[in-house]
Amino acid sequence: MATAMDQLVGFGLVAFSLLLFVYYTIWIIILPFIDSDHGIHKFFLPREYSVTIPVVAGLLLVLFVGVFIVIVMWKNRKPAKTD
Amino acid sequence: MTKLVQWLCGLALLGTAWATLALDPLGLHLPLPCQQVLWPFPVYLLVAFGCYSLAAIGYRLATFNDCEAAAKELQEQIREARADLSRRGLKF
Repeated sequence: MATAMDQLVGFGLVAFSLLLFVYYTIWIIILPFIDSDHGIHKFFLPREYSVTIPVVAGLLLVLFVGVFIVIVMWKNRKPAKTD
Repeated sequence: MTKLVQWLCGLALLGTAWATLALDPLGLHLPLPCQQVLWPFPVYLLVAFGCYSLAAIGYRLATFNDCEAAAKELQEQIREARADLSRRGLKF
């Protein structure tokens, strides 16, 4: 058995990603087929954000990964030997 | 044909299909809700794939089993190795 903390984090991740997937699926695929005067639309942001938010999040992720790599490589540089 | 080329061909095919339906060069007008669903579709696939990856990582983290017996055996072997090496003169 994995430790309790591992199980908590693991199942927490599963629940979070499931929630995200369901919200995003309803937003993208189901909402266009529902009349615009239905109450459900007030739970969802305007449709433009459904593209901008993931794209911005993806760019931030790439930025963090790049910064991390730069930091690690900077720390591991060795001074060049002089002959 | 390498795997990379296969994947790129598949992606190019899907991309062309999406562009043909979304940018409407042929002039066939899909109903409006279908158009609204189609536009963010590539981003939707990316987000769905990201969600699946996160869920898979989380699930395997939660269900990964500790191997008690193997851990004890490993500790025992480490102790024996230390005793053996220090007997032969290696300083720890």
